[in-house]
Amino acid sequence: MRFHAAFLPSGSSVPAGLLLLGSFMLGACTSTTVDEFRQGATGIESGESIVILGRRQASDYETGSDFVNCVGDRMNRGDNRINVVPEQEFVDALFPWFEPRTAPLRTGDLERLMAEELVADKIEDYGIRYIVWVDGFTETSGRTGSISCAIGPGGGGCFGFGSWEDDSNFDARVWDMDTLSSVGTISTDATGQSYLPAVVIPIPLIARVEANACSSLADQLKQFVRGST
Amino acid sequence: MNQATPARALSITALFLLMTACGVNEVVIEGSYPTPNVRPLALNVAVIYEEALRDFNYIEYSETGAEEFDIQSGSSHIGLFDAVLPAMFERVTFVDSMDEARRAGVDAIFVPGIEEFQLALPQKTKLDVYEVWVKYNMRLLSGEGDYIADWVLTAYGKTPQETFRSDEDAINDAAIVALRDLGSSFTLSFPEVPEVRDWLASRPAGT
Repeated sequence: MRFHAAFLPSGSSVPAGLLLLGSFMLGACTSTTVDEFRQGATGIESGESIVILGRRQASDYETGSDFVNCVGDRMNRGDNRINVVPEQEFVDALFPWFEPRTAPLRTGDLERLMAEELVADKIEDYGIRYIVWVDGFTETSGRTGSISCAIGPGGGGCFGFGSWEDDSNFDARVWDMDTLSSVGTISTDATGQSYLPAVVIPIPLIARVEANACSSLADQLKQFVRGST
Repeated sequence: MNQATPARALSITALFLLMTACGVNEVVIEGSYPTPNVRPLALNVAVIYEEALRDFNYIEYSETGAEEFDIQSGSSHIGLFDAVLPAMFERVTFVDSMDEARRAGVDAIFVPGIEEFQLALPQKTKLDVYEVWVKYNMRLLSGEGDYIADWVLTAYGKTPQETFRSDEDAINDAAIVALRDLGSSFTLSFPEVPEVRDWLASRPAGT
């Protein structure tokens, strides 16, 4: 309690805990930047779909399927919803052509892939107009503080403080399956500081960094795909 | 008697925790594999799953030399080949022995095997991923049992470390990715293996 009081201006009547909580809640905000680079005209008809796939070729990270599903779910909702084929369903249906080792890396590989009759038929069956390749990850850094918890016959509790910073960086490259070319890239960068104060009970004040990156990317992708024709 | 009960319960719990902490963790790889979308080759193939493949298991040792994980992947490998092979060849017969395969009157006999299995855990590599490498030896013999081709294939799978996911589940997921990798590279590279390609080219058209 003495520790908290050290942050208060002299003569303040605001309870120390309340002020501290307020500052933490402000600090747990996330800032998100979205960049769009358009290379070609886009548009989607009512019977057409898109598929969002995660890139998993890198050796030191892989694009999380949770993030990919989150973007897909968000695009599949709302007034301007776009039909999104679930990633796993698509990858299984097109096995073995979209596995980490066999998936096309460049639009130049698409022509070779679409020359396979079985692949072209499956893509047509799904009505895939765009393939969106999502590549990126969330990195946690700046972990500080410590929390100790104890339990005894009379009860238990925790005391301490921890904080960390999350940084999400994701790129979404959009391939047009009609022209077999890249039509643009959307990048999103979200950062936020999370806090975990513990006075008997830990109070997590988590910055929803990846969730914000997901919603920003999905909203921008929706506009991009509907975009200009 | 009443006073002794909590102490006894505590002792049993501590003993149980000690026993589970020291024992080897068994991981039976479980997953399902899709059927490949490829045009089947006009071949009648007999397949032999040797006992070494059926019962394949790998023991991962801790840094102190104690058995840490017993990974049993034999049945999962069989499941993968069962899904992949019928899509690759027009006719597939599963047999138990070389004699039975010879009697089956097939074009070729296929015998897959595992040479090496490796596991990398985040606690040892200090990376945020679980990794599985598998090295396979694939053998293709003629219907009479003569050599056609013998080649090595490697498969790799990884899965990120996640909060609230056990080591066992993560190892299973990484192994499934590795097995899918095997399925995809085997399916697509089979006709490109030099000896297989030469053998296919030497066969009369339409047979």
